[in-house]
Amino acid sequence: EDALLPAPQNISILSTNMKHFLTWSPVIIQGETVRYSVEFQGEYEREYANESWIPICECSLITATVCNITEDISATVAYNLRVRAGVGARRSEWGTLKVFFNRVTTSLTPPLMKVIADGSHLLVELEDMGPAFQFCVLYWKKGQESRMQQKVVKEVRSMVHLDTMEEGTDYCVKAQTYVEAINRSSSFSQTQCVRAQGGTSKWL
Amino acid sequence: LTAGNKIFHFGPCRVSMSLTEIRSGFTAIKANVQARDPVRTLSILSHPHSLHKVKSSDRCCITHHLFNFYVDKVFKHCKTEDSYVNRKISSIANSFLSVKRKLEQCREQNKCICGQESKEKFEQILLNYEALNITSAAIKSLGELDILLDWV
Repeated sequence: EDALLPAPQNISILSTNMKHFLTWSPVIIQGETVRYSVEFQGEYEREYANESWIPICECSLITATVCNITEDISATVAYNLRVRAGVGARRSEWGTLKVFFNRVTTSLTPPLMKVIADGSHLLVELEDMGPAFQFCVLYWKKGQESRMQQKVVKEVRSMVHLDTMEEGTDYCVKAQTYVEAINRSSSFSQTQCVRAQGGTSKWL
Repeated sequence: LTAGNKIFHFGPCRVSMSLTEIRSGFTAIKANVQARDPVRTLSILSHPHSLHKVKSSDRCCITHHLFNFYVDKVFKHCKTEDSYVNRKISSIANSFLSVKRKLEQCREQNKCICGQESKEKFEQILLNYEALNITSAAIKSLGELDILLDWV
């Protein structure tokens, strides 16, 4: 009888900015193409649906060793995930996450931003990080950190107007993201400063 | 579109809910689920009176009852042959479980008082539910989720 395939090992999750990926080590069988299938199980399935598992069809019989599980990790509860290998009709045992995954642990990075002085207008361009993200933008006149102002940006649009600048004055800006669904914020971005000079911006 | 994780105030009980995520999960399968509902003439949540008639003082209790109802009774009987639908139902069910937990905390802290009206209203919903066979009742209740979401 064919030897049982080894189960996938080193199953783990990479989660950054609410994008979640399951990864595992490849199962190597000489001369064979190994395919993998992934299933998930939320807290609801464990407690109310007989510990059932739900297949992720985009990650059924794939050869890659990574699966984008973002769409299925859509509640702030503990999820379990498992992977098994297959060659032809042969199947391995399931390899399972060592620790449940909750999206509240995603790592949040500071947003990319670009500060622009358009004439006397202080503008900021923020990276579109998806519908789960809001931004807190702080801005101040250089040297007047104590009089910092804040603007919360709930829906990303290409350009955000922050203030009307006094000519010849330097203005500084920094921003962080906020994810309501998990009630967490990123650290702040690097500070960027600009000075308005008669309609042309001058980076500092 | 923001993934609105709003803070809902039910009297002293404050609960944060990702309603937009729940609603987008439901919208993705609404037509499919409602097409499976064999009994269009009946409503489980709105018969004989709409949820909108519930007094505000009873809203927390009714909301708690309903989230329990969906988690305990409805979702598990909605399994379909469609993998995509099953995944979305799982997403909604896990979100409901998360909210149910928060409402339970309010109940434990006596911030979610149950009056006579909420008791009667919820009993009526159970009567409507039990008047159908379990799969039809579960599918119908799932199909009426937007009634609940609109009301909340």
